[in-house]
Amino acid sequence: MLILPLIFCLTTSAASKATTVEPGLPDKALHFGEKMYREGLLPSGEAMQAYVNGDTPAPGTSFTCISCHLRSGLGSIEGGINTPPTTGKYLFEKPEPINLTKYRHFDPSRPVYTDASFAAMLRGGVDPAGRVLNYVMPRYHLHDDDMAILIRYLKRLSSTFSPGVTEQELHLATVITEPGNAEAEFYYRALQTLIAQKNNMVKSFGKEPRKTRMAEAMLMSREAAFKRIVVKKWVLTGPPDTWRAQLEQHYRKEPVFALIGGFSAGSWQPVHQFSEEHQIPCLLPVTDFPVISDNDWYTLYFSKGLFQEGAAAARYLLRETDGHDRGAVIQIVDDTVSAKALRDGFNSVWDNGGATAARTILLTPGTSLQVIFQQNKGATFVCWTGNHALAKLSEALLAGYGLRHIASYGYLGSTIYSLPPKARSSLFITYPYRLPHQEKNYDAYVNSVSSVLHPSTPQQVRLLKQAYAVYQVLSQALIDLKGSYYRDALLDVIGMNMAPGMGMGLVLDTTFPLYERFSFGPGQRYASKGCYIVQLTDEKNPGLINRSDWVIH
Amino acid sequence: MALRIIPILLTLVMTAGSFTHASASDVKYKRSIESYTMPDVTLINQDGKKVRFRDMMASNRLIAVDFIFGTCTTICPVLSAGYANLQQRLGPDLNKVHLVSISIDPENDTPKVMKEYLKRYRAKPGWDFLTGSRNDIDAVMKAFDAYIPNKMAHYPLTLIRSSQNGSWVRLFGLLSSSEFLAECRKAGL
Repeated sequence: MLILPLIFCLTTSAASKATTVEPGLPDKALHFGEKMYREGLLPSGEAMQAYVNGDTPAPGTSFTCISCHLRSGLGSIEGGINTPPTTGKYLFEKPEPINLTKYRHFDPSRPVYTDASFAAMLRGGVDPAGRVLNYVMPRYHLHDDDMAILIRYLKRLSSTFSPGVTEQELHLATVITEPGNAEAEFYYRALQTLIAQKNNMVKSFGKEPRKTRMAEAMLMSREAAFKRIVVKKWVLTGPPDTWRAQLEQHYRKEPVFALIGGFSAGSWQPVHQFSEEHQIPCLLPVTDFPVISDNDWYTLYFSKGLFQEGAAAARYLLRETDGHDRGAVIQIVDDTVSAKALRDGFNSVWDNGGATAARTILLTPGTSLQVIFQQNKGATFVCWTGNHALAKLSEALLAGYGLRHIASYGYLGSTIYSLPPKARSSLFITYPYRLPHQEKNYDAYVNSVSSVLHPSTPQQVRLLKQAYAVYQVLSQALIDLKGSYYRDALLDVIGMNMAPGMGMGLVLDTTFPLYERFSFGPGQRYASKGCYIVQLTDEKNPGLINRSDWVIH
Repeated sequence: MALRIIPILLTLVMTAGSFTHASASDVKYKRSIESYTMPDVTLINQDGKKVRFRDMMASNRLIAVDFIFGTCTTICPVLSAGYANLQQRLGPDLNKVHLVSISIDPENDTPKVMKEYLKRYRAKPGWDFLTGSRNDIDAVMKAFDAYIPNKMAHYPLTLIRSSQNGSWVRLFGLLSSSEFLAECRKAGL
């Protein structure tokens, strides 16, 4: 007999630190219930006391409910442990078998919980059918008042579907902040093409019984096979401080389930904030400027963008010069958001690296780059300068002023290949993608779109691959969601399944274009954690040689 | 199509396994005596310091090793609560045991993430959390016959190195804190 493993509460994750009150939480008791459920903290502020695995005491802050039952309360499978849902519907209403995926269902086979039998179970580990819960489910020593608060929260948890879902359609939106920007338009067309291909599959599944059966068998979800995806385009115009009002207006008109993709050549912060406050998932926007946060929950990024390149540069320098005289390290930062994001990433690592402070020079219109180079011969120059300064950088490289120079591919782009061969030996470049000669093997992944859109530049190929990644992550998440249209559940399933080698379809880190080991995990919000440090080869059309691992520790 | 079928089958097998294991609560853990050869790799600890893994594993202290990651759910917290409680129960014998946790998500587990993780479990000195390059971490997992290519499909495993003869006790499954302490005593504590 399968012993009901009602595992309740284990560790905390980064996500559990979020302390915002849900909009719509009607009273303080629910807010306290949320803190107990997500953070393992009692209304008094103390940790809930838990006993795990028989006799092992543990503070509730290291074992929170969401660790296993997840934020949505729909449960999980991980590490050989199958965790059932803990929503009010599952616990306190007539227990019916729940199909969470085609191969993961729960038949509670027990009387419905009352508040009293639930409290007894949580304290003593025995359910109303007299069965002992799985040993990894902690037993909680809670007073009656605190117990009542938690029960009230659970009864409300994932009780109604999130907006944006109808019988036949799932409504999503893509936020584009640059009207008329050719890259944004190309990217949006790529995303629409992939979604249209999916919707065409839906049409054909419905028509032919054989294909219908196949779709159900293969996709493990009627939902994924038969629901049409509608992606609205939300275009934001004007300066970023006016975007929030525009987003609110779009959302009132079209209350979508989630935001997918998205494109901004500048800031993403206002959209990030909007997602966070309305608790709307936003999957993988294309931006160089993700919001860097350990605790925010609702936006999933490809990477930390330029910040990540800056951090990789600092890690590389620290590691390469470990135990040696570092000499002077001079960071040259031009007056752009790109350069400042690179600088912030660099400083986030360098300032904690135990090395002497790096000198930072902010380039202003009157400052001569050449003079900086000449006056600091023998230094390591970290050059966060744009294409306008490429000629000056090239001169400095040829003159050999610096011991070594670091520049960013994400900022300079492919113009960096134009540097003359003699300028390349002391130049190290942060490169946030898989190396080009290996990436070629992944071009075929986007054949179905490139045959329609005919990308003509490396940038367009990259945008196609990013659209493909958005589509893959979304498809896999919808399969795993199995019709449970709760926004938190969408993020839960991505966190639990988007791991290397996991699961189905093509969502494997080694088969993802652009990035090495593209993967989320519980509470993780930046899929790509790496960035190579590369050098240019001597050829006329130079290749790249990596001088570091993908992830530098 | 074939591309989709194989991973689905894999998932099926993994899921079926999950059910079996979760229900087998009468046998809590499996125990065997093993001999392992440590790879000569350099890993990074929670303070960002380099650690020669082979040297660390050759110490005279009793050593326990497990495999976890910073954002892990379900079993890592149970393993880590076990480590934390062992440290508490050791009292004056704290420095006789070296607890080592090895990251199976080295891309995400930076020294900062690992340090915060240890803090969450109120780790005392003598508990190290190690990360490193993917290749080096793979080498360590393989050396312990514990290769876990996918962090979301890992399993609870604790290894204890005897301070008397250097042999390893392999414990597959989750141990209560009394069982963990008893295993440490058997290994020479």
